[in-house]
Amino acid sequence: MSDRLRITGGAVYDPANGVDGDVRDVCVLDGRIVDALPTDAPRLDAHGMVVMPGGIDIHAHIAGSSVNHARRILSDERTADPTAAPALRDAVPRSGTGGTVPSTFTTGYRYAGLGYTTVFDAAVAPVSARDTHAQLDDTPIIDAGFFALMGNDAYLLQQVAAGERDRARDYTAWLLGATGAYAIKIVNPGGVELWKRNIRTVKSIDDTSGVPGATPRAIMETLADAAATLALPHPVHIHCNNLGLPGNVSTTLDSMRALSGRRAHFAHAQFHAYAGGNGKPWASGAKQLIAYINAHDEVSIDVGQVMLGHATTVTADGAVEYLLHASSGRRWVNVDVELETGCGIVPYEYRDAAAVAALQWVVGLELFLLSEDPWRVVLSTDHPNGGAFTSYPELIRLLMDRAYRDDRLKAVNQKLLAGSALADGLAREYTLREIAIITRAGPARQLGLANKGHLGAGADADITIYARDANIAAMFSTPRYVIKAGELVVEEGQLRRAPPSRRLYVRPPYDDAVMRDLSAWFERYATIALANYPVAPPRDAPVPVGAGA
Amino acid sequence: MTQMSGLVEHVTCLGCGCSCDDIVVAVRDGRIAEARGACALGASWFGDGRVPAIARAGGSNVSIDAAIDAAAALLDEARRVLVFLGTDISCETQRAAVEVADTVRGVVDGISSSSVASGILAAQRRGRVSATLGEIRNRADCIVFWGTDPSARYPRYASRYAPEPAGLFLPNGRRSRTIVAVDIGGARGPADADVRLEVPPEQELDTIAALRASVAGRSLGTERFGPALADVARRLAAARYVAIVYDAEPGALPAQPARAESLTALGQGLNAGTRACVTPLRGGGNRIGAEAVLTWQTGYPMTVDFSRGHPRFRPDDGPRALVDAGAIDAALVVGRPLGLPFAIDAVHTVAVGPAASDAACEIAIDTGVAGVHEGGTAFRMDDLPLPLSAPLPGPPVAADIVRTLAQRIGARRARRS
Ligand code: SF4
Ligand SMILES: [Zn+2]
Repeated sequence: MSDRLRITGGAVYDPANGVDGDVRDVCVLDGRIVDALPTDAPRLDAHGMVVMPGGIDIHAHIAGSSVNHARRILSDERTADPTAAPALRDAVPRSGTGGTVPSTFTTGYRYAGLGYTTVFDAAVAPVSARDTHAQLDDTPIIDAGFFALMGNDAYLLQQVAAGERDRARDYTAWLLGATGAYAIKIVNPGGVELWKRNIRTVKSIDDTSGVPGATPRAIMETLADAAATLALPHPVHIHCNNLGLPGNVSTTLDSMRALSGRRAHFAHAQFHAYAGGNGKPWASGAKQLIAYINAHDEVSIDVGQVMLGHATTVTADGAVEYLLHASSGRRWVNVDVELETGCGIVPYEYRDAAAVAALQWVVGLELFLLSEDPWRVVLSTDHPNGGAFTSYPELIRLLMDRAYRDDRLKAVNQKLLAGSALADGLAREYTLREIAIITRAGPARQLGLANKGHLGAGADADITIYARDANIAAMFSTPRYVIKAGELVVEEGQLRRAPPSRRLYVRPPYDDAVMRDLSAWFERYATIALANYPVAPPRDAPVPVGAGA
Repeated sequence: MTQMSGLVEHVTCLGCGCSCDDIVVAVRDGRIAEARGACALGASWFGDGRVPAIARAGGSNVSIDAAIDAAAALLDEARRVLVFLGTDISCETQRAAVEVADTVRGVVDGISSSSVASGILAAQRRGRVSATLGEIRNRADCIVFWGTDPSARYPRYASRYAPEPAGLFLPNGRRSRTIVAVDIGGARGPADADVRLEVPPEQELDTIAALRASVAGRSLGTERFGPALADVARRLAAARYVAIVYDAEPGALPAQPARAESLTALGQGLNAGTRACVTPLRGGGNRIGAEAVLTWQTGYPMTVDFSRGHPRFRPDDGPRALVDAGAIDAALVVGRPLGLPFAIDAVHTVAVGPAASDAACEIAIDTGVAGVHEGGTAFRMDDLPLPLSAPLPGPPVAADIVRTLAQRIGARRARRS
């Protein structure tokens, strides 16, 4: 493999640099994009094709203890989806299994096979970070990082309750570095701790039934401020209270307003955008929610689209999974993780004929189609919660192809769709530029990844080249070429190389004073020695803090 | 860089699934003089740190390099290889061992299939309600020891996890908790329990069903079990957080393949009204790590067959069945070659692990013990990962040897293709 490559003749979609389908060359040298190369550099002919930066998944569940708990119980679906080892030129090829939660090597191969080159796991219990790193070490090709769950951490909640916001910030900085995480994640702020205490609903973001003083609002504020003060590349990443419940759009809006003026990313917004409740039937709350998002630059979301078909719900939000188990009678895993977080899993199917599933499908599409700023509305299915990442090409088709979308809409249960914007007719069709934003440039910007999501000089040479196809799903499901850090990993639609992935993480500074307090806490309540808690630093250098934002 | 003398702190013990990580190992003259803080079981697991250091192939001692070459040739040329994940190896070694199985299209298994298969299959059907040990320590105000007293096989469970320690929500430690001992025949719960329930082994499943019915508010003939059962059911329902603890390893409780699934159903039912978990006690040596690694690399926690070029789950055709049927002609045992579910001399066997040369294998490469001579990662009984340290480095590192073996087999295959 040459370390130089000139990609010639393709229509380049590089929205971060204002390039919108212009036919131009893209030059790669030593794993980076450069402005020019000598004319004798090897060429890759991309005439008639579409060239984009590699895809970036801002929110998925691909590695860690909860994902492995899910794999363990899904033997039936993976039996139906075995994956033979690909014919690789650079690495020992590994076989695996797929389904909604693929094995690690298969996860890397399949993401790369879709043209995705960077993926973040959105929910890792800090105490099991070591497990996540080991799994990511076995997930080739895709650069990967994870977000550390903090919104129900007992030590942190006590600092919030005591008004010790500086100590809380120092603790988050220590925890990010100790676990090799990339960002702060909040799941159901305070609500997972409540679930452990058998309090199953969070009444509002000012609910006081948990640790006194540590309301959901106070937790979100503290951690949003910590991320801002530490100048982390990605702001606080929030899964709001009351996921999946009718009427929850009011909680979501309250949460956004609570952080008004602060940068925050709200995860899988679709699952938090329902009207109705209190005796009224479920309805779409997408219009309300997206109106707020459109008007507030400090907010970004990923959609968490539901794809009709099989899924596996995996979340730190244990209470939600109990409800899903109780209402569906399906298999259920719950793991309460010591004084940090929870884990719940229920395999699920979103059926065309099911009224709520149809509504969820519609709500997600409405968020996409009513959004006015694609830079802040990222494509995700909350893999594998709304559907597996392998359904992204289908989702892109739904966004780009109105006729197809309208046909699909007719086939789903209409019961709860009255008055929804999509049912009333939404003509919008995403352009290739907009797709490049919601799958590449936008997530890179929200994640603070300066070298990713674009094709300007200095960027990582992560590039996907698609052959045009009238069927958008077919086009996006089998890129002709995928280049990762300058290496051609997919050639003529076939996976040929599987270089090891790089780890994306931060190591923010903190005031050492927190360690005295923390070591007393560990003595009293932890089952692992403080000295044994931190993971070995990943071999790659950390992503710098303080530069972005 | 052998450390001849000194103290190494925060060492993790793999003597049982408690994986206590507070051991201070005193090294003197290149031996382990003491494992401070360890129980007797742990002390004997550490031993004095002496391990044999032999590499053997073709009936004589050879260099490690030559032994790896011979092993690569044997495994590469075999018709069907069994890779067996033994004990006292790190996850790093296990990962390389599964790679070997994948590359040679063999079968890979660990000790779980012959010990806890019923629990694994139960989880696949029904799920599980679990908690890490720290949740039990900090939260469980009612602990049911189901036919087990952990003090026998998990000596420090009581002092590190429950019921003794004070927890965040249990300021008075043991006195803040209600301990229920369920005695199943001779398998008895802790002697100092607050409540006892005697269960004849043949009535175990009926008892669980009756408890389930009772916590669900149905009596369903619970009367026939008498007031003791009704009392236990009331306590479970009234507790804030229930932990039901049983020993999943064989030999402790009367055999009952449906136990894990029934207890899970009880635990799931309890969560309708209160909070509850059901947690198995598991042995040491990083057997949990083997399940975790197999799961993330293949999707299945045990008994994986790569013969068709991809992982297949073969819970009904474990190593013993395959060896007995003559389907296997070579085996790679990674880890201490103890408690193997097949006869080592029935096939051509390569062993790489601590004291590998003690077993009657064609090729043996002795390594150190994970957590004594080499570092890495291991999993506690509750699926939490822990770092291993190497208070006594020096012997050949199993992870390195198995990685090299995997590379050499991969290179042989690549040359041919
Ligand atoms: S209880 Fe188990 S892990 Fe702890 S010291 Fe004893 S043998 Fe080792
Ligand atoms: Zn998620």
